[in-house]
Amino acid sequence: MKQIAHFRYTLLAAAVALLLPLLLPSGTLATEVLVFALAALGCNLLLGYTGLMSFGQGIFFGVGSYTAGVVLLQLKLALLPALALAALGGALVALLVGWFSIRQRGTYFVMLTLAFAQMFYFLAYTMKDVTGGDNGLLDIPRPPLALFGLTLLPTTSSWQYYTVVAILFVLVFWLLQRVVDSVLGKTLLAVRENEARASALGYDVRLLKLAAFVISGAVTGLAGGLHAMMTGVAPLSNIEYHTSEAILVMTVIGGTGNLFASVLGASFYVLVGNWLSTLWPRWLMLLGLLLIAVSLYMQKGLFGLAMKIIDAVRGNKGASAQAATATATKEKHS
Amino acid sequence: MNIYLLQIANGVGIGMLYFLLAVGLSIVFGLLRFVNFSHGAFFLLGAYLCFQVTDLGLGFWWSLLIAPLVVGLFAWIVERFVLRHVYALPHHFHILFTVGMALVIQEAVISTWGPLGNNVAPPDLLQGVVMWGGFVYPKYRLFVIGLTAVMALLLWWVLEGTRLGSIVRAGSESTEMVSLLGLNINRIFSLVFALGAATAGLAGALAAPIRGADPFMGVEALGIAFVVVVIGGLGSFWGALIGGILVGIVQSVMSTVWSEGAHLMIYVAMAAVMLLRPNGLLGRPGAA
Repeated sequence: MKQIAHFRYTLLAAAVALLLPLLLPSGTLATEVLVFALAALGCNLLLGYTGLMSFGQGIFFGVGSYTAGVVLLQLKLALLPALALAALGGALVALLVGWFSIRQRGTYFVMLTLAFAQMFYFLAYTMKDVTGGDNGLLDIPRPPLALFGLTLLPTTSSWQYYTVVAILFVLVFWLLQRVVDSVLGKTLLAVRENEARASALGYDVRLLKLAAFVISGAVTGLAGGLHAMMTGVAPLSNIEYHTSEAILVMTVIGGTGNLFASVLGASFYVLVGNWLSTLWPRWLMLLGLLLIAVSLYMQKGLFGLAMKIIDAVRGNKGASAQAATATATKEKHS
Repeated sequence: MNIYLLQIANGVGIGMLYFLLAVGLSIVFGLLRFVNFSHGAFFLLGAYLCFQVTDLGLGFWWSLLIAPLVVGLFAWIVERFVLRHVYALPHHFHILFTVGMALVIQEAVISTWGPLGNNVAPPDLLQGVVMWGGFVYPKYRLFVIGLTAVMALLLWWVLEGTRLGSIVRAGSESTEMVSLLGLNINRIFSLVFALGAATAGLAGALAAPIRGADPFMGVEALGIAFVVVVIGGLGSFWGALIGGILVGIVQSVMSTVWSEGAHLMIYVAMAAVMLLRPNGLLGRPGAA
């Protein structure tokens, strides 16, 4: 049962990666969807599986961008090592931020992550030699996907690059699904549900939260690195508060506690945002209203809504009430 | 030596403003156990109302009355008609709701006043500097210190000396108990939320002649308000005062030593305090 669920969502994620080129006219837009889906996955691991609402995801995204930018520009590294370093950079900074933040709980924790987001923004702003300050890093190259000097895939066109991103996306999704299905994932859920009890059972809650932070930072850092290569720049705005906010909003709109929900959330945010922003530059106001509506009426996000609809279509109305929580509990008890 | 003395005095001025910005956040948290992520947007709204009032030619003094009143009224309406349905939800929905509200306010401000910043001139009476021997200080900042000190005393008196204050303090301990005593806790919630917003609105109006009004000052203000209460201790009145002044002085002195890093050092100071006292200087353990 576990195995099926585990592959079902990975297959769904792969289906999204295959469908995007059929539905979208622009390779860059499709790439952006998957890049932010990765970032939202990292955020979901914290919020949905560990109960930690982090406003600092933009830090890891920005650090990933800068790391990839610096090593591609200065060291002329190949694609995979550059991305590995971006993920490592994200993980290390997440270790630092997490180490400070998880000393606090609840709202205090949330405030701290936001304060850290501001701190790293100003840090990036002052470290002009490394980050380029206001201008960011420009003309970041995009090397082909190569292994042992053998070019596997070129990345010159946006669709070629999309292919590389899509492969990495499905791979990371599968790995993360393995993580949340593993003992570690279950223990994180235990921490989310009842921290005091998890602690009383002998789990090192701090260490578990820190592990979640590091994994989240690595995935988000990878997303940041991919984003820098996508646009050819690592701008200061990648580490801004608004990036943190956007990643969190995608995660929440998608729904927490199921990894595939984040793919839905990121797709919705990027695609609807892209469409609306051409109609009305102040579309973020609608996003704000949507957030208000989600917090009042749709707390399971788009994924919860989709589950409800699927259940209604199937006709078992009795189960529709629990539909939204079904996946979360299933994972807990399997 | 004089330059540092001046910067410390300057820092006290900014710090008092930061106190006014953060104290509402702290009081609202104390009573409602609710962190308001739209607090920075209330500050933003205050600054723009100040700009609008002076731009209409009504004069700066009116803005000090109108900005807090309008922001407070807005917050009161939001609390009364929407926000109270959110209290029962898990705390991250409080945050989402107020983040959504902050986005709406910020975008409404840009729609109304445009994406570029605006300058606000201090009133004629407060232009220029005062001199005491070799000591020079801008009049406007002196006024800010004076007014915020009066506001601090007033707030302290409301919290410590009035019936409302005693209800608020009792409510911070146990809202159920206050309800059981037959007091309408809902009305008090609305009132305190509006009061918290009004102080942020006043802080915004006072800040406008110093730093202008731009659409993204809300986010910056929210960050600083968080730092102030993390340093001082969430829910503590005196913590907000000490935290505010400390942050103001750090920012001001650092702007002489290393101007680009002045903002960065605020957050470094926060991290340092957290290492030494995780609950803030005056915070109680478990308050969050």
